[in-house]
Amino acid sequence: MLAVAQWLANNLFGQPAFLIGLIVLVGLLVQKKTASQVISGTLKAVVGFLIIGTGAGAIVNSLLVFQPMWAEVFGLQQQALSNFMGFETFSQKYGGAVALVMTFGFLINVLLARFTRFKYIYLTGHMMFWTTAIWMGVVLDSLGSGTTVNTWGLIAFFSVFMGLYWTLQPALTQPFMRKVTGGDDIALGHTSASVAVLGALAGQMFGNKEQDAESLQLPKGLDFLKDSNVVIALLMGILYVIGAAIVGARSTPAALELVKKAGQNSFILYSLQEAFKFAGGIAVVLFGVRLLIGEIVPAFRGIATKIVPDARPALDCPVVYPYAPTASIVGFLGAFVASLVWLVVLGKTVGYVFVPTMIVLFFHAATAGVFGNATGGLRGAFLGGVITATVVAWGQWLMVTRLLPTTIPDTAMWAADSDMFLLGPLVKLLGGVLRFLFV
Amino acid sequence: MKILAVCGLGQGTSLILRMNIEDVLRELGVDAEVDHMDVSAAAAEKADMIVASPQLAPLLAGHKAKVVVVNSYLNKAEIKKAIQENL
Repeated sequence: MLAVAQWLANNLFGQPAFLIGLIVLVGLLVQKKTASQVISGTLKAVVGFLIIGTGAGAIVNSLLVFQPMWAEVFGLQQQALSNFMGFETFSQKYGGAVALVMTFGFLINVLLARFTRFKYIYLTGHMMFWTTAIWMGVVLDSLGSGTTVNTWGLIAFFSVFMGLYWTLQPALTQPFMRKVTGGDDIALGHTSASVAVLGALAGQMFGNKEQDAESLQLPKGLDFLKDSNVVIALLMGILYVIGAAIVGARSTPAALELVKKAGQNSFILYSLQEAFKFAGGIAVVLFGVRLLIGEIVPAFRGIATKIVPDARPALDCPVVYPYAPTASIVGFLGAFVASLVWLVVLGKTVGYVFVPTMIVLFFHAATAGVFGNATGGLRGAFLGGVITATVVAWGQWLMVTRLLPTTIPDTAMWAADSDMFLLGPLVKLLGGVLRFLFV
Repeated sequence: MKILAVCGLGQGTSLILRMNIEDVLRELGVDAEVDHMDVSAAAAEKADMIVASPQLAPLLAGHKAKVVVVNSYLNKAEIKKAIQENL
């Protein structure tokens, strides 16, 4: 009997991919889906989870070119990205814990919505995944690599913490969300909530509500900004090429070492290809997340609507763009300009190579732009974007060098964002106080 | 019949749209497979119908599938009307 339990624990619950498959299987069975839907959903979730690790590996490989290249541009001595676990290893070890936290944390969210006045159900599944992973990385980092971790303690702590976050974040954002949507039907459920609120506050203080961004006509040529793959490839391509041009013209040992990586080929074209590999890596990860989350969230929603019929869904940030499409672009432009300034400032002051990833900047700054516009018009929208870039740039530095350098700093460079950065120190502090749970 | 729900990143918003389309199809008694993805993936995917916002629809011009424009991904009445007209 005990041997059977032990075998199950090791081979099923200890293997994140199978554990996730099991969670999805139960979710689909509870919803009374057909046999064919159950089989395809379960398999998609398992395969999706395994794909995420593969894509993460590709992203790290091209960051290993980006980092030393810009370190050389700024003349930095130490290399920040070394001796870390990386998302591939992390998800093999703790992916199952992340999946269980999503499940239990969501149930806590549903119960809080049922019994308190905070009637918000968090439905942005991919952010549930990344937020839990990043914050778990913070706690694991502070425990140190030699520690034997009590996974169940980790799961208990994060289920409660994430359940509270998923309930309170939409509730705190809702006063401004009402201004944006003009109603009370939907809430914002996203880690960009903090920059959205800061954008709205800045708009209130420094903006001019009369000058609404929507009266501005933006050129049709900016339409391509709606396609995330194009934006990432284009802007990362520009940054890699600029870095390559500067490094290629130098003859320092580090510069020569980098140029050697291209072999017989042009170093600039080699770097451009690395930029596109980075974009490709992100596309692969997102494909995996889509397969995984696409099966979990409908199950979650089915459960939530049964238990809390009067709940409001807290949704992904693009739901606010239609309320002010121009402001969302203005917000992104503000963030883009500010992030290039921060790239140079961070390189020259704290000696950190900032990776201005377009997913975080675009989606968050666009949201902050819409919120900023609601209180402060065009100027508010632009300020929202600037604030986003500021939080993301300094937050990434804090996260990568201070909060999780040994666990998943690679992930913090492209998949971590505003709320994670701002609440990161609190997670570390709570993790330190409740250390006895994990060790 | 295969229907795609698309958004810019193919993660959260298109998933909400997918769930709303599935609800609408159930009401209409139509049997179809619905998937969600980002707009570039959808451009390369075989489908009978793609539901997109007015901003994303131009990026799908030339696709063999019928591109159905929906202003609000949350408004089930609008989604139902748009799908019914294009079935």
